[in-house]
Amino acid sequence: MIKIKIENLSKTYNTGSISVEALKNINLMVEEKEFVSIMGPSGSGKSTLMNVLGCLDKPTQGIYELDGECVQDMNDDELAVIRNKKIGFVFQFFNLIPRINALKNVELPMVYAGISTKERRERAIKALQKVGLEERMHHNPNELSGGQKQRVAIARSLVNNPSLIFADEPTGNLDSKSGNEIMEIFQQLNDEGATIIMVTHELDIAMHTKRMLVCRDGEIIEDKLVENQIIINKQEESL
Amino acid sequence: MNILESIQVSLGAILANKMRSLLTMLGIIIGISSVITVVTLGESSQKAIDMEFEQFGAGRAYFSINWREDYSTKDLLTTEDIDALKNSFSEEIEAIVPYVYEKGKAKTKSEKLDVSMTGGDENYLKIEKVDMVNGRYLTEEDVKGKRAVVIIDKEMALEIFGRTNVLGDSLDIEIGGSQVSFAIIGIYEKPKSSLEAMSGQTLGNIFLPYTTVEKITGSGDYYWDLEMTLAKDLDIDNTTQKMIRLIEKRHGNEGQNKYVVQTAEGELEVINNVTGIITLVIGAIAAISLLVGGIGVMNIMFVSVTERTREIGTRKAIGAKRKDILLQFLVESVIISGIGGIIGTIIGVGLAFLVSSLIKIPTGVSIGTIAIAWIFSAGVGIFFGVYPANKASKLEIIDALRYE
Repeated sequence: MIKIKIENLSKTYNTGSISVEALKNINLMVEEKEFVSIMGPSGSGKSTLMNVLGCLDKPTQGIYELDGECVQDMNDDELAVIRNKKIGFVFQFFNLIPRINALKNVELPMVYAGISTKERRERAIKALQKVGLEERMHHNPNELSGGQKQRVAIARSLVNNPSLIFADEPTGNLDSKSGNEIMEIFQQLNDEGATIIMVTHELDIAMHTKRMLVCRDGEIIEDKLVENQIIINKQEESL
Repeated sequence: MNILESIQVSLGAILANKMRSLLTMLGIIIGISSVITVVTLGESSQKAIDMEFEQFGAGRAYFSINWREDYSTKDLLTTEDIDALKNSFSEEIEAIVPYVYEKGKAKTKSEKLDVSMTGGDENYLKIEKVDMVNGRYLTEEDVKGKRAVVIIDKEMALEIFGRTNVLGDSLDIEIGGSQVSFAIIGIYEKPKSSLEAMSGQTLGNIFLPYTTVEKITGSGDYYWDLEMTLAKDLDIDNTTQKMIRLIEKRHGNEGQNKYVVQTAEGELEVINNVTGIITLVIGAIAAISLLVGGIGVMNIMFVSVTERTREIGTRKAIGAKRKDILLQFLVESVIISGIGGIIGTIIGVGLAFLVSSLIKIPTGVSIGTIAIAWIFSAGVGIFFGVYPANKASKLEIIDALRYE
């Protein structure tokens, strides 16, 4: 089943007199259960591509179908619903709300989805269990390590059962051990059927995914399957 | 996101910055409390004045020579005029007496006490409310016989004689250099007047037949003013106009605007207008402090929005709509100014009670004032919160997420 279909998609930024073409006529298809990494140097358009794919930004031109639904012309509130129901986000800087504990942070997407308090709690606890953090759920973000914060963020991205998970440099702010833990969770989620798109500039991280897109100057210049995917396995690690 | 959750989130944000929130509230507290104090004191003094008028005769009226116009002795009022008015308006006039007044000095053991002497007749009780505690009031015989009798105030009796059972004693008063001796026939108690308490005026007042005053001063049968008490439920304007026409006819000066009638009702209206304007002006000045407080709320809301730009971006990324963000910040500013409003109301009411007990007027805190103050403070929250909240709700997600 096709998750994402993009045709002739462009994005132009107008900053005063200069207009920058961040994306030029991009075509892309992503199937269900894929694990895609988007690579490229800064200014290559990879972040813009992800913002558009994540419905955080609108394309200037072209067609974007998500789950067979055209989203390029939707208004802000309609996009908010799409982001809420279909998309989970994991950011480089975690972006947790500082004053509320891990559990409340994970509940947040369900708050905006209008789900009852009881169900919210149950589902949030389940999501935190999935990332192995149920014991720290009553801690505020400032009491958690970077890796733990990112796991809370992953739990938050999962909690509304989205069809897509976007991760923007999810390991960029973590030490390699925590980074590995995060990649392990993503691989596990992907094995369970989640479609994941991840922006990174580290080849090593991209090697953990199954498909690699390379952007340069607003275009996708390479689209290949990852050979010799690095698979993190707890048993292997412990050997 | 429902309103309860917005309130929860906002309370969290407010409590996270206790000092800042408190200082912002302080602006609202000062604004609301000063508005309430001023408005309540204004209402209280108005009420005090109303009560005063109630006590001293709502139907009271003065028929007098118009001082603004030239007049000659033939225009002055006479005893015959009074009789004519009595006859023609027997229904409308409850009491009518020429205004006769004189000042004198009463001798006490150590000093001379200023007294004001008010002329009256047997019906004067209907004009000036006097509570007799002992003895009798003036009679027709006293008036006709121009008797040297007086009714004195209890407090004055205490001051002059050192006791209150002075019935039948004689009171010596110095009037224009000559000494006159009066027999005390009655003792009255002055009604508690808050206006007098406010002005501090406590000149002793004694009542005696107006004919007696005339005899002493030798002023004769000419009057400038007549005091009246009119019946209740009258068309006062109409009646007094008719009275003026009658007197004009008797003096042959029709249409020359020689006489005017002042009524207590009219005076009350004037006084109420004045206190109303004063309240309005001071209230407006107090409202400026509320405005300044409101600007403080707006300022702090802008700080709050800027501070939480990334949070706003995150909330939007995970599905918050514009109205969710708008509501969140609006609720926050309404809570800040609402709590400020409640505290300000309590302080304002307290201050109003304190001040009115100091100047001895009854306090009338109306529910209306409090309701208006609360609605106003919440309104301030909305008015000054809308702009920052709107700014927050309009933030572009990707810019907000990138904000450092």
